[in-house]
Amino acid sequence: LPSVRFLLGTAGKICRLNGFDLKTAAIEGGFANSPSEYYSLLHEITLETVKLQVSKALTPDQRVIQAVEALDDINETTNSLSERLFEWYGGYFPESGLSGETLAVFITKYGSRENIPPEDPLSLKARDSMGAKLEVADEALLKGFAESVCSLYERRKQIEAYIESSMENLAPNLTMLAGPMLGARLISIAGSLEKLAAFPSSTIQVIGASKALFKHLRARAPSPKHGIIYSHPLINTSPWWMRGKVARALAAKLSLAARIDFYSAKKNPSLEGELEEKIRKIREANPRPPQKRQEGRAKPKKKRRK
Amino acid sequence: MTEIRLLSEGIFEITKDKKQLSTLNLDPGKVVYGEKLISVEGAEYRTWDPRRSKLGAMVLKKFDIPLKRDSKVLYLGAASGTTVSHVSDIVSEGAVYAVEFAPRSMRDFIGLASRRKNIFPILTDAGKPDSYAHIVEPVDIIFQDVAQPNQAEIATRNAARFLKRDGHLLLSIKARSIDTAASPKEIFKEEVKKLEQAFEPEFEILTARDLMPYHEDHLGVLAKLKE
Repeated sequence: LPSVRFLLGTAGKICRLNGFDLKTAAIEGGFANSPSEYYSLLHEITLETVKLQVSKALTPDQRVIQAVEALDDINETTNSLSERLFEWYGGYFPESGLSGETLAVFITKYGSRENIPPEDPLSLKARDSMGAKLEVADEALLKGFAESVCSLYERRKQIEAYIESSMENLAPNLTMLAGPMLGARLISIAGSLEKLAAFPSSTIQVIGASKALFKHLRARAPSPKHGIIYSHPLINTSPWWMRGKVARALAAKLSLAARIDFYSAKKNPSLEGELEEKIRKIREANPRPPQKRQEGRAKPKKKRRK
Repeated sequence: MTEIRLLSEGIFEITKDKKQLSTLNLDPGKVVYGEKLISVEGAEYRTWDPRRSKLGAMVLKKFDIPLKRDSKVLYLGAASGTTVSHVSDIVSEGAVYAVEFAPRSMRDFIGLASRRKNIFPILTDAGKPDSYAHIVEPVDIIFQDVAQPNQAEIATRNAARFLKRDGHLLLSIKARSIDTAASPKEIFKEEVKKLEQAFEPEFEILTARDLMPYHEDHLGVLAKLKE
């Protein structure tokens, strides 16, 4: 371990700067008796060094990234399992009108519609249902399946809570402006908080729209106005002619927020006010949709595109 | 009937059912990435998939591979070590200094590196040769597969510090990582020109060939320092 510290520390740095020949020095100085002993020591030391570096690489932002990706996997799985449950149970009680988590909870609780107590609001519908009779073996299967789906929904809530609390510590400013989920997704796609902080705001604006962006760069497709930041309420509640402008303003502030988070981690409450002010100005300056271009002017442009 | 043909030092073409590129396994019995092991007369060979390795593709594209049994190699862009493992097979009495920047790739690479005494893993940015100058000795060959937009510059910076006067540079240039929009041919022309004259030291290009059909939009380059 002292050698590992040597390689990473100041002594190593001094050697580097002077173009110091470690191999010759180690052998002449008697640290290693032969080239083969030197190589064997170097092998061990470099290996220990990278192990140490790799173990330090799992930083808080990397943990959030794993959680976000796990959440996406769970969402995908729960959706398809929920659909399966809906189809499956629909044969026995099509009138329930339930779906998703409520249906899974309902099946876990009662199983067959015959077990629904009279005080449950669905008891009348259950009595008159045209669904088939649920045999014991099928009921056990469906109940077990529904339990699995329920537990996935539980897991989803747990992961969401984890992301929310981690983001509050990891990136308070980004979380304040973008919300924990969008902030975590931005970090996830960038690869780390450091990379996100290094991105220009124009990149943050189109993160998640890479397909449209490259289409724009390669061919003459229009440039994308927003990537995943579209899910931000400021953008998706704005009228269409303002969205590009709002996206640009939001991305600018998000990029500032990511930089503050990475370099100082102190919350800067004035950011929120600045963003609101900017959005207010955009709304004032663009009260009406722009006039559509007249036919006569649009046509020659189309020709040029070919 | 198994037939073995020597393509270059330490690199073989084994014909058993079909022709297969392979190297002599330095770590007998162990498979690195799902390749096949073939035993012939007591020696164990590992097949080498040219579609998963730029260097393997360069061998089949008839590049003059300068790797020798006792070569010292600086390998930039080790990734999970697929190709490094074959280089380690070839330079069985030499050394491979394997630089990789991504901790995630390094995690996969560590297991391999720990079993092979001639591999020295380094987790750092290949664009900053100063940060590993105290570990790496002068080398005979620099192999570079980093897929970075400034890869020509990275190669020259490393060559300036580590490449012996009579050493060689083997380089794989990925057109898509330099410019996604421009045509690969133009990019290759520019990158080769950069190697020849943009930085100090300048290179003399010995071979430059695309790696089709094994890798799309990749150019393999073999170069040495200009006299």
